[in-house]
Amino acid sequence: MPSNPRGVFSLIIINKAGGLIYQREFQSGLRNLSTNDYLVLAGTFHGVHAITRSITPKIPIAQPAPSTTSTGTAAPAASGYSYPNPGVPVSGLDYLETDKFRLTCFQTLTGTKFLLFTDPLTGGVDAIIQRIYELYADYVMKNPFYQIEMPVRCEAFDRHLGAWLRGRT
Amino acid sequence: MAAPHRHATMQSMSNGGISSGSDRPQQHSQLSQQSPGLRVPSNRKTIYDRHLNRTRTAELSRASFAFLFGEMVTYAQRRVTGIQDLEKRLNEQGYPLGLRLLDLLFYRSTSTSSSALSSSSTSSSPPNRPLRIITLLHLIHGPLWRLLFGRAADALEHSVSPDTPNEYMITDNDPMVNTYVSAPRDMSMLNCAAYVAGIIEGVCDGCGFETKVSAHNQPTELWPSRTVFLVRFGDPVMEREKVLERAGVK
Amino acid sequence: MSSTKNSRIGEEIWKTRVDKVNAELVTLTYGTIVAQLCQDYDSNYHDVNKQLDKMGYNIGMRLIEDFLAKSGVGRCVNFRETADMIAKVGFKIFLNVTPTVTNWTSDNTQFSLIFEDNPLADFVELPDDGRAQDELWFSNILCGVLRGSLEMVQMQIEAHFVSDVLRGDDTTEMRVSLVRYIEDEMPPEEE
Repeated sequence: MPSNPRGVFSLIIINKAGGLIYQREFQSGLRNLSTNDYLVLAGTFHGVHAITRSITPKIPIAQPAPSTTSTGTAAPAASGYSYPNPGVPVSGLDYLETDKFRLTCFQTLTGTKFLLFTDPLTGGVDAIIQRIYELYADYVMKNPFYQIEMPVRCEAFDRHLGAWLRGRT
Repeated sequence: MAAPHRHATMQSMSNGGISSGSDRPQQHSQLSQQSPGLRVPSNRKTIYDRHLNRTRTAELSRASFAFLFGEMVTYAQRRVTGIQDLEKRLNEQGYPLGLRLLDLLFYRSTSTSSSALSSSSTSSSPPNRPLRIITLLHLIHGPLWRLLFGRAADALEHSVSPDTPNEYMITDNDPMVNTYVSAPRDMSMLNCAAYVAGIIEGVCDGCGFETKVSAHNQPTELWPSRTVFLVRFGDPVMEREKVLERAGVK
Repeated sequence: MSSTKNSRIGEEIWKTRVDKVNAELVTLTYGTIVAQLCQDYDSNYHDVNKQLDKMGYNIGMRLIEDFLAKSGVGRCVNFRETADMIAKVGFKIFLNVTPTVTNWTSDNTQFSLIFEDNPLADFVELPDDGRAQDELWFSNILCGVLRGSLEMVQMQIEAHFVSDVLRGDDTTEMRVSLVRYIEDEMPPEEE
């Protein structure tokens, strides 16, 4: 697969509201989805992502037990519930995997989602997504003709994204 | 030298000890004299207390430029009716930069050492202002481009058509101002480097060469945003050029 | 705290990951924007301030993505950390300055940024018309940038300048107040 050295099948970008704003395939011969299918996929993923966030289990916060171990009284009183490892923010669904492909989701702190479809064996997916995010920040966000939250139609973004994924730069 | 009428547009804001012509000698001879009406900080941190070369090699982020430039384009777009109008507006925004950069270029090309300001060469001979078209265009193609974009422009050509001897072309294969700009399909004629065209126009006008400059897309496969700046000198300039030619002025 | 860490992050990004341009091009470009507004609004400086803030807001909503993409930083745990991040990473990578964070209110919702240097105002003198020094906030675009970018990461803030050396003040100071965290994107509670 010399035309696709990074093993990336396709990319989808979903805006904060769950709308599909970008979709592009990087490998010929992929099963074609209709535009409508992609819109449904984006909306569905957005919804599932939100649900996975909200069902993140909380665990009781243990009070620092007053040293009553010897008396063997009840379990430490719970003063409330918290997410495990509270320093780390709650994420939603991070990836889906089948035998044939892997879908990795990267949600920025602003709520934009990058969905990358790759070969399950493709390594370094995080770095690939990071680079795509940088290209997006450059060629989409800095383009005065791009309107925020709207579909991405930026020729320079397409060009640089394609060139980079083909491994030229 | 009669100031070109467009000078007037910038007098409201002097973003520059770089500021244009007339008040410069005073600045040199009476350092730290403010206009009587303006308040100054007690530490006297004013533009007159800073060296003009302070920012000579200073750098800022290209992203910051891109965001400001993009917002300038967006703002201009709201107030215009079409592509030509938008380019005219961007041109006008670039024009005052040309006037200021011209002074800055002269100042720096004559100041040979860092003590240039303190030695305050009010008495020394004025810097060599270009008198001929070619000298002026070389100033733009080389020093101006290097100051703005860190490299010379990619080509400088004279029109080959006998009908348009007053036309010159400066080419930039990849204009920095357009790096992140993708114009929508229905505006494919637009070239936001009209801003740079305005800068060139300001430089020419400031030198006493009445000119119209426009930016045109001339993409190649290798250089998708290649831009040609078409420089058209006015008739009086061309006539003077002939006189200077005969007189052997370079 | 993570304060010195943020300084290091800012320095590192500025040195290695930020494409640079000539500073004078940026300064003069901002100058021509402000001058154009003064002309368009007939030197009604209140309107100019408002328009600058609006432009900054538009920029902020975009710039935040560049900030996050370049810095790779995560969500701040509280507003104090946000302030530190703005000063040491944000201003560093976009303007190569690091304003001082100071004058906190006791409830940690308001602080000031004091600017020692401000590249946007380099070589600027306000019009000597008897009004500009009282009415125009030359760098007001920065308030909008903060407002726009923080809103995109779920913080509603208010920002305004309280002094400016261009007006003859001894310092350039911006006051920033947290209004609220937006929706359910609350950062984890402090403590």
